[in-house]
Amino acid sequence: MSKSSYAIILVIALLVVALLYTPAEKRTDGKVNLTYWTGWTGHELEVQRKLVARFNREHPNIRVRILSVAGSYQKVRIAFAGGSTPDVCSAIWADELAGYAIRGVLTPLDTFMKEYGRSGDEFMPGVWRMLSFRGRPYGLCSTTNSTFIVYNKGIFRRSGLDPERHPRTLAELDRAAELTTAYNADGTFKRYGLRPSSLVFWAYVFGGKWYDEKTGRIAANDPRNVEALRWMVSYAQRYDITRMEAFEQTFGSIQTVSGPFFVGKMAMWTTGEWAEEHMRRYAPKVEWGYFAAPPPPGGRRNTCTVGGSVFVIPAACKHKKEAWEFLNWICGPEAVKEFCLSIGNIPPLKSVAAEPEFQNRPLYKFAIELAGGRNAFGPPPVPIWPQYAAEIARAEDYAMHGRRNPKQLLDEVTIKMQKELDRTLAAFRSR
Amino acid sequence: MTHSLDWKKRRKLRVTVKEALQHLLLLAIGVSFMLPFYWLVATSLKPDAQVFQSPPAWLPHPIMWHNYPKALTYVPFARYLLNTLVICTLSVFGMLLSSSLVAYSFSKIRWPGRNIAFFILLSTLMLPGQVTMIPVFSIFKSLHWVDTIRPLVVPSFLGGAFYIFLLRQFFMTVPLELSDAAKIDGCSELDIYRRVVLPLAKPALATIALFTFIGAWNDFLGPLIYLNDDAKYTLSLGLQQFVSRHGAEWSMLMAASTVMTTPIVVLFFFAQKTFIQGITLTGIKG
Amino acid sequence: MRNMTRRQTSRLVKADLRNGLLFAAPWIAGFLCLTAYPIIASIYYSFCNFDAISPPHWVGMLNYRILVTEDELFWRSLWNTAYMIVFGLPVGLVSSLVLAFLLNLKVRGMAFYRTLYYLPSITPIVAASALWLWLLNPEIGLVNELIMTFGKMLHRLHLPAPAGPGWLIDPAWAKPALIFMGLWGAGGGMLIYLAGLQDVPEQLYEAADLDGASSWKKLWHITLPMLSPVIFFNLVMGLIGSFQYFTQVYVMTGGGPQDATLFYALHLFNNAFLNFKMGYASAMAWILFLITLACTLLVFKTSARWVYYPGELK
Repeated sequence: MSKSSYAIILVIALLVVALLYTPAEKRTDGKVNLTYWTGWTGHELEVQRKLVARFNREHPNIRVRILSVAGSYQKVRIAFAGGSTPDVCSAIWADELAGYAIRGVLTPLDTFMKEYGRSGDEFMPGVWRMLSFRGRPYGLCSTTNSTFIVYNKGIFRRSGLDPERHPRTLAELDRAAELTTAYNADGTFKRYGLRPSSLVFWAYVFGGKWYDEKTGRIAANDPRNVEALRWMVSYAQRYDITRMEAFEQTFGSIQTVSGPFFVGKMAMWTTGEWAEEHMRRYAPKVEWGYFAAPPPPGGRRNTCTVGGSVFVIPAACKHKKEAWEFLNWICGPEAVKEFCLSIGNIPPLKSVAAEPEFQNRPLYKFAIELAGGRNAFGPPPVPIWPQYAAEIARAEDYAMHGRRNPKQLLDEVTIKMQKELDRTLAAFRSR
Repeated sequence: MTHSLDWKKRRKLRVTVKEALQHLLLLAIGVSFMLPFYWLVATSLKPDAQVFQSPPAWLPHPIMWHNYPKALTYVPFARYLLNTLVICTLSVFGMLLSSSLVAYSFSKIRWPGRNIAFFILLSTLMLPGQVTMIPVFSIFKSLHWVDTIRPLVVPSFLGGAFYIFLLRQFFMTVPLELSDAAKIDGCSELDIYRRVVLPLAKPALATIALFTFIGAWNDFLGPLIYLNDDAKYTLSLGLQQFVSRHGAEWSMLMAASTVMTTPIVVLFFFAQKTFIQGITLTGIKG
Repeated sequence: MRNMTRRQTSRLVKADLRNGLLFAAPWIAGFLCLTAYPIIASIYYSFCNFDAISPPHWVGMLNYRILVTEDELFWRSLWNTAYMIVFGLPVGLVSSLVLAFLLNLKVRGMAFYRTLYYLPSITPIVAASALWLWLLNPEIGLVNELIMTFGKMLHRLHLPAPAGPGWLIDPAWAKPALIFMGLWGAGGGMLIYLAGLQDVPEQLYEAADLDGASSWKKLWHITLPMLSPVIFFNLVMGLIGSFQYFTQVYVMTGGGPQDATLFYALHLFNNAFLNFKMGYASAMAWILFLITLACTLLVFKTSARWVYYPGELK
């Protein structure tokens, strides 16, 4: 036979292989098979795998298969559009929840919760608010986080500040930032005091809001939001934002010993409770303390933002009861405690947060108080929040670099997002 | 006699100097091109602390050979490698076969509607893929091909517009005299395709094989969307396991990336051996 | 042809049509089964309010109207993309051509050099971007270090010294930084040119040598014309590709600083998959399609004048 005939036969053989290559089907043996997609990777994924294995052992009639979608928006959206959603999904961020909920593609969980004797009171109020849309819960979560400021006591001391007395007002914060900033001989930064970032967070500290739930209107240009942005811009001007950014590009990853706070490149760092684990691993010799972001007069004390991944059951799920069994378990006290301890986050369940493993660690106790307090803010219940948040970030970017003033920028955001919100809601009313 | 010897020696010297200068130039520019790859390998051998050192460390110290076995056992590397190889091999085969056939039609056969069809072919490249992802997915879903490798492999057997266009350009450089001569000899179109045109386009075919392989090897979105079982996952998806919300395991990520990149480098080295100038067409006298 | 009867010619035409369609069958089948429906669907989406998770609803020209009259980011991203094409595309084309010539020299160990030059094209972007972010660091990056050293030399000669720009954190320099980075990705185009260079017949050069032609004349009158089909390919594909420039900015800048690197395809992606506006994104896609089509047609129209096909079947 000629060479080309061999080639053609090979091709046909490969074609057949390609079209018929199906790995052995998993035996069903009467169990309900659930697919569970998570956005977690790395270490968090390992712990989730362990938890899923334990659930499967303890619930012999259900088999959960876990798949990591590596935080991809596309896979989840395409699955919803194409009608091949998993039974349980934790690859949806709290930011997107309202957007999904209003489109009716998620299963509301209130009936299940009532049946199983669970209530929203089990969760921290800020977290529970974030999980609900128009009065119904659409998801649960197994971790939450908080935001506060961590400071380097050694640098405070060397800069003439009392290391045991952290800033309690905004003015004190400004002063501490100024005193702890140091320059090299050539004018570049050796260290800066604080770099305020995340306008969403600071607006809440200043007492502002992004959405007025009573009127249902976008409140981006709330005067206190504008004030917050003006304060942030003052740092950009006083310390030359371009120099700061250039300096920031020399920062190492916070998952290594070269993290900026660990090596003294910043005196104060806005972070969350996972900092403790990092400090222990990467900077055990650094003396440090923590405090809640101090508000200006008229602002809110002990403010923090909460967020994270939400566990949902897509509306197209064919085994809702079993999916709820799993959801209920993995967002139940046992699983939540194990997961939070191993990844260093705080539990959103009040009962778990009250346990000694968390309460005996001062930082965690402090973080839990913040996240469980009344000034813990999740994403507001607007279905356009991802776009809205991006616009806020854009306004922050422009303001910090001196392009147009804060009030103008936030006015523009308000008008644009109000239009967007009106259009989105109108589209739903007409259906 | 001595004169010609001198002349020969001088010529040889001139040639050697010329070659030396060429080497110098190639190396000088080549060093900068090598930089990203060097960085990849160097970082993979650094201890975590050194990865983001400022000013950066050019040489890892100490050399963490251990990063490699660590990275390769963090994920089921062998399985991902097998899955990836299956997809890549099938894709290369399918693409070479289908693209060359279609390119032949667009370059060597005159048929009504050809130019319009060619423009439609090109137009399919002009629409950003993001807006067709969902309808394409529904097609594959209705065929029950989701969670298999078929959506990743079968399209290769249906031709790729980029490669069809490329091969068409190459086929159009094959002189008409050759194919006309073959036609007079009584060859069918298939014969001309197989015996005249294809052998002369070896460099282009090698290029297409290489590009298709690299494309399938590094393809992240395709396997992510269509595979729902991590036993079927590919290397590029495995790489994502090193990246999490709070950052990445940098040295392991770089080690895994190096391992993923090295076979491509080797493949390229051997593939471009076909690029030897001078083996080209001849046989046409007068 | 003149000596054949009409029946004979029509039979030939029929045979050609049959063969043509037969050879093109794989692509035709693929187009009809896998491409046609998605294209029609995306046109439909562009006239709908489609969030990508629930069914679409017809809204007529609304998306197009908003894009053109209200979305300043649409115009901004279009401008950024046009910048990339006008400045980035020529740089890319010329650099891959120059590299191909360099790598076609008769030097020993050429396989090694070619591999070296191709390395950046296959280095994973996650690794390359970390490196580039450091290289282009305004304060301590290598690039600005070199500029500063050069500047010091000029300063000593009492000439004006340039300062290192802010590169990726300066809106005025972010796009040039990306174009600069793009030089390293010349490997793909270079390979295609190399393949093309292999097909230039030796006899042409030999004949030219006999006539005593200079290197420059050989380049201009033999090499470039023989390469023109491939240059044309790289130009068209480069154009189409530049309109869809996306990955580098998605990984490295996210559109910043201050939207300086918000390219059209990134704005499209944000709308399609983040903002629940797939219908809007589809409208964006079709506007881009029309623009790309127009530009490509233009290139094709001019091609008759400078592209030479030795074996073209008209």
